[in-house]
Amino acid sequence: MEILGYQRPDGQLGIRNKVSIIFSTDCSRYVANKLYQLYPVGTQIFGYPGGCALRQGPFNKLVALGTHSSSAAALIIGLGCEGTDAYMLADEIAKSGRPVQALKINEAGGDLKTLEQGSRLLVDLLQYASQVERVTMTPADLIVGQECGGSDATSGLASNPITGVAADLLIEAGGTYMHSEVSELIGCADILAERAVNQQVAQEIREVIEAAEQRSFASGRFSWGYGNILGGLTSIEEKSYGCLAKSGTKPLQGVLKSYGLPPGKGYYVQVGEPGSGFFHGDPEGINQFAACGAHIGLFTTGCGSTTGGLIPVLKVIANPNRMQLIADNADLDATPVIRGEATIRELGETLYAEILAVAAGKLTKSEIHGHFEV
Amino acid sequence: MPQRAILLNVADDVATAIVDLPAQESVTVSLEDRSVEVVLNQEIEFGHKFALRDIAQGEPILKYGLPIGSALSDIRAGEWVHVHNCRSEHFGFHREQYGLKA
Repeated sequence: MEILGYQRPDGQLGIRNKVSIIFSTDCSRYVANKLYQLYPVGTQIFGYPGGCALRQGPFNKLVALGTHSSSAAALIIGLGCEGTDAYMLADEIAKSGRPVQALKINEAGGDLKTLEQGSRLLVDLLQYASQVERVTMTPADLIVGQECGGSDATSGLASNPITGVAADLLIEAGGTYMHSEVSELIGCADILAERAVNQQVAQEIREVIEAAEQRSFASGRFSWGYGNILGGLTSIEEKSYGCLAKSGTKPLQGVLKSYGLPPGKGYYVQVGEPGSGFFHGDPEGINQFAACGAHIGLFTTGCGSTTGGLIPVLKVIANPNRMQLIADNADLDATPVIRGEATIRELGETLYAEILAVAAGKLTKSEIHGHFEV
Repeated sequence: MPQRAILLNVADDVATAIVDLPAQESVTVSLEDRSVEVVLNQEIEFGHKFALRDIAQGEPILKYGLPIGSALSDIRAGEWVHVHNCRSEHFGFHREQYGLKA
């Protein structure tokens, strides 16, 4: 199957091709949304749902998302008095060579004039995007992130190990894979440190896991409870191994603490920039992967999450009862593992094939249903 | 015949039931070139684990090829493995570190 990607001026290769409508503050979200409603085909919308002050993390994240491989061009809508200045944002994104336009509502003369000017700018950007050169991509060009949400007993037993197999296959083909959620890796610091490519990476992974552990103890939000024990989990480390199973078996290349592309290929753990989370929860996780260059998000769920994000999200579900309820949102039916009819290895190979199909253009359920949570 | 329990790693000491398994059942689990048959000496519910070999008190118990804790007592093959006979090493360590009562 040929993956025909979109060539970007900075050398990145995208599997989708969108013009980004970016609101630089909550105050300009209204106009940005109106523009998105007027031109829903070929566009995507995201922004900073925050206020006046400039905060570096969110600013860097908007730049990273605006220069994502799937973003062909950008139109930034600002109010004019916010710290995440629309022109500054435009200048940063334009360094990637992508066409960028920016409007400030209080310079353009209010909502209606911004809508009118913004519409004309969008038409030009959409025409530009429609003519972007297509080039052949290989699995080695792909970056995939893995998130779990609505986890249950089947997550650690089947879905996460299945994504681990797909991770190994992707990395063997030269690709890049990442996951986050270090707070769910309590007890895994030594194991991941052993997989680290050098002492510095080993030290970094220990630090981020131990910091997450101390935060969870300090806040009392320790992810271990009576329900876990009733469900069959004996220890926090057993629960964490179920999460770790999504990491596969390849060497840990690094800990991604800032946005932008990973420095190399292979397996990474991503933690995000402090204070940059626009929202908490799973869509945020997916979009943080996007801010680190991920083309596709894998999402394992037991209870049946419907979450999407700015990138195509591939849902993997292994709970047979939930699968019946959530089939409309599921991309990979992993229930044969729990029914004892297929192996983790077999379903992992199926998932890897599905990743390549989505890269080649197959729409995920999250895309078809319009789950572009930001 | 479909598998009724999952062996996650060939090195594991336990398998996890993927259906409720009655006592006295003979269960076979396999992964790659390893295949183990045990007779369950008690009922094992979905999501719960049973021992694939006799495990001595104090031995680490492996799942995912990694230690999930150590045996609090001698555990026979086919016996339920859970909080009554397996203790988290990590939690034990952290109870002291964070000043929690044992």
